[in-house]
Amino acid sequence: MKISKQDVLHVARLAELAVDDAELETLTGQLDRIVEYVAQLEALPSEQTATSFHPGPAAVRLRADVVAPVPLARPPEAFAPAMRDGLFVVPRLGAQEDA
Amino acid sequence: MTPSTVAVQTAERLTAAAGLNATLDWSPELLATEATAAEAIGAGALHGMALAVKDNIVTAEQPTTCASKILEGYQSPFTATAVNRLRAAGGMVACKANLDEFAMGSSTEHSAYGRVLHPMNPDLVPGGSSGGSAALVAAGVVPAALGSETGGSVRQPASFCGIVGVKPSYGLVSRWGLVAFGSSLDCISVFGDTVARSARVLEAISGHDPQDATTFEREPLAPFVPRTDLKGLRVGLPKEYFPDDLDPAIRAGCNRTIALLRELGAELVEVSLPHTAYAVPTYYVLNPAEAAANLARFDGVRYGARRVGLAGDLRALYQATRGQGFGPEVRRRILVGTYVLSAGYYDAYYARAQQVRRHLALDFQNAFAAGVDLLFTPTTPSTAFAAGANTGDPVAMYLADVFVCAVSLAGLPALSIPIGRDQGLPIGGQLIAPFMQDGAMLAAADVMERHLDATGEVR
Amino acid sequence: MTTTWETVVGLEVHVQLATASKMFCGCSTTFGEAPNTNVCPVCLGLPGALPVPNEQAIRLATRAALALECTVHETSVFARKNYFYPDLPKGYQISQFDQPLATGGVLRCESPDRGPLAVGITRLHVEEDAGKSLHDRFPGLTAVDLNRAGVPLAEIVSEPDLRSPAEARAYLTAIRQLLVFAGISDCSMEKGSLRVDANLSVRPMGQTTLGTRTEVKNMNSFANVERALEAERARQIALIEGGGRVQQVSLLFNAATGEVRPMRSKEDSHDYRYFPDPDLPPLIVTQAWIEGERSALPELPDAMRARLASQYGLSAYDAGVLSGEVAIARYFEAVVAAGAEAKASANWIMGEALTDWNVLERFPVNPGIMAGLIALVANGTVSHQAGRKVYTELSARGGDPLAVAQHLGLVQVRDESALETWVDEVLAACPAEVGRFKGGEAKLMGFLTGQVMRRSGGKADPKGIQVVLVRKLS
Ligand SMILES: [Mg+2]
Ligand SMILES: [Zn+2]
Repeated sequence: MKISKQDVLHVARLAELAVDDAELETLTGQLDRIVEYVAQLEALPSEQTATSFHPGPAAVRLRADVVAPVPLARPPEAFAPAMRDGLFVVPRLGAQEDA
Repeated sequence: MTPSTVAVQTAERLTAAAGLNATLDWSPELLATEATAAEAIGAGALHGMALAVKDNIVTAEQPTTCASKILEGYQSPFTATAVNRLRAAGGMVACKANLDEFAMGSSTEHSAYGRVLHPMNPDLVPGGSSGGSAALVAAGVVPAALGSETGGSVRQPASFCGIVGVKPSYGLVSRWGLVAFGSSLDCISVFGDTVARSARVLEAISGHDPQDATTFEREPLAPFVPRTDLKGLRVGLPKEYFPDDLDPAIRAGCNRTIALLRELGAELVEVSLPHTAYAVPTYYVLNPAEAAANLARFDGVRYGARRVGLAGDLRALYQATRGQGFGPEVRRRILVGTYVLSAGYYDAYYARAQQVRRHLALDFQNAFAAGVDLLFTPTTPSTAFAAGANTGDPVAMYLADVFVCAVSLAGLPALSIPIGRDQGLPIGGQLIAPFMQDGAMLAAADVMERHLDATGEVR
Repeated sequence: MTTTWETVVGLEVHVQLATASKMFCGCSTTFGEAPNTNVCPVCLGLPGALPVPNEQAIRLATRAALALECTVHETSVFARKNYFYPDLPKGYQISQFDQPLATGGVLRCESPDRGPLAVGITRLHVEEDAGKSLHDRFPGLTAVDLNRAGVPLAEIVSEPDLRSPAEARAYLTAIRQLLVFAGISDCSMEKGSLRVDANLSVRPMGQTTLGTRTEVKNMNSFANVERALEAERARQIALIEGGGRVQQVSLLFNAATGEVRPMRSKEDSHDYRYFPDPDLPPLIVTQAWIEGERSALPELPDAMRARLASQYGLSAYDAGVLSGEVAIARYFEAVVAAGAEAKASANWIMGEALTDWNVLERFPVNPGIMAGLIALVANGTVSHQAGRKVYTELSARGGDPLAVAQHLGLVQVRDESALETWVDEVLAACPAEVGRFKGGEAKLMGFLTGQVMRRSGGKADPKGIQVVLVRKLS
């Protein structure tokens, strides 16, 4: 077993995903199966390492510093689940948890 | 036919095909608006062509759901570059097409709006994740459609449905407006009833976009120069793609096609892509890692369906919104992706997979550098499978992508064309080209298409 | 025997790069707009939006790195820093992690205890800012404004080379001066364009390994950084001396109480799962481009101080004050260029003009007029004292220095007969002092001169008075 229920709960917390008790067992089994499967990468001889690969351009193209936002066809009010006085609102985070 | 006539006929066909469950949002009124705009443009490479657009590509005129409950009621305030370019070329958006939620899946069974049916047999899946787009083209509702590929999501359903599916080189088509899944893998891709039509669509949507830093500063894809045969072309057959246990029907279809390639003047050579066995595990580390971060924005704060009211708790809002808003496959990928990036596991999984990705890309580069112009392989290890056949075991589902995901990791252009049938079901053959050789690949496929008996039984 | 404790401080400074548009989108960076109006698909984190980096932000960050004597790397990589917070639209911040833009620099500043310091700069990287969370706007709610989200920042991390809260303050003063000089940022803590997080640990004097550090946040001025670090140093020492151990936590400073208190520990919160952002190819800058930016750097504070001292023969103190801000030095050099003598210009600027500058953030008397006033005093047309009155008038209402002096009746009287009248009146009124002077008390010349000056209402030319007095008394 590569993945325990504890691992699942830990990553669920990092990913802010609710996992209820009923599905924890199944999910743990499935994640374990997936992680076991991808762990075969370890079988590749370690001298065969290389630099990482991205198929895109070798260098990022920079944007000129010009104020030209992509326009919004409708304002945030049109898609926000909750807004007051132009501000997105959510239940208050404990003040001590300020980042 | 005028765009308006096409729009009316397309609306009739969309209505008739409703049983496939291939469409999400569409309406005759929106189609009429599209037709008016197309008429105003007049000419254009796609003049009057109605296309289905996979619903992970944003359009400002209608909802974009990604087939997820988390985006219930969301209407994007901007439109994808690819759609803007389609319209500029005279094309029309016929409908938003159903998909696996956030493009995660290979069967279009993982949609919050129900599975898409295979047009030839309702018990089968059309493949995925662009199954809605594929089914609509296969059913003759639209001649072409936009899908998206992260690891085979256009080629595999094209193969299952017996149509053409083209994945361009990474960075040839802008991702601006494609809801990101695996950013280093995602490509807006094209389905068509023919190679030539697929090529027209790809030409129209391709080219540099200043809004997408991963597009190359290149002109749009030029129309390919049609050829009459394949003389002078060296086609490689990667031995890893023809394993001993390859399905006999798939092998028979490939053998028939290889014989045709030879008849058309191509030289066939066996090549080796030695790291192929690592492609699927590499893909299923990198793709979930990127997906986990890309899907973090769906938090219920700024848009989408929020599950907890303002009297609740912020953490509960996040966890319920995401926990209930995402379906099981999306949650699995997010959890796996979070795990492989987390402290203590990054090197063993993510960093390792990044290195293997380089080896996979080098395998292809070496084969092409040795004088091979194109590679030919089967697209899928089987024909369309039954709905429910692979939903119990996620890894079994992942293996449906065994022949398509190495190409995605390497960023190469590839396509699937129908090469025959087994018990009435389509078999797809895959062409893979060197980076940015999309045109040469399409030209070869075009010749093959003219000579292939695409609907004949292969054995 | 009591332990002597050594304080070790390292600082993380975030400065807003002075660009017109945001780091990864074309939205304006203007401060003070209606909430959520400087936003677009990118900085709202909408599905399908993609980032494209701002060239000017990279340019300014590079200049900052060069001003800090860092090595600027030809290849650096944008990375995603993953965490959930309502003002972080994408659920990750685009930052740089294991391949930052620049590393290995130095900031020179003056320690109040140890003299000149060279503080190591570990790294400088570019990143985007988050939005603003307002916790007190609506009861029970957190309100989010994303106008700030995506504003370009440079994060500058120092080595733990500082040894006291006062040194931390000196470092901040010097880095602000440097970055403002180099045109990188306006470095205003008030506007949020400069923010400081401080790491502090203590150890017994002589110990070489570092103690456990804590991170102090939420300080809104340099003075409060010093106060917060004083409080945290005292807290750590008391804790250790009481037999306790310092825990590695983050603390918030409360300016009202002067106390630091721990943030509720966020379990997992430090697992940011950094990985290269697949939306952004590597940032490549050529050596030639870096050198171009180096040569485009304006004169920096240390160089300017040295030049002012040598070129104008100023004291180290005067040169330091005049190079405190670019605008002051420019003004000084313009006054000298308009013909005023350097030392006198320095005195007049430090004595008068800086008072205006500190209030108005500009110099109301233009350099030519200022030079004219300095000349009037130098050639004796007005006294130094009267010159100050002329300056006040010029500052308030403008005008020509001589005309103002005349209008205010401040031009010194040199007319021999007028002087003689005042001298005669004083000599008549002070027979005792005249007698003592004639008896040898030479210092009474000053007293008599003062009396004549007073009788003239301050207008008599002091040199002229002396000439007449000497003649009358000899
Ligand atoms: Mg930072
Ligand atoms: Zn923006």
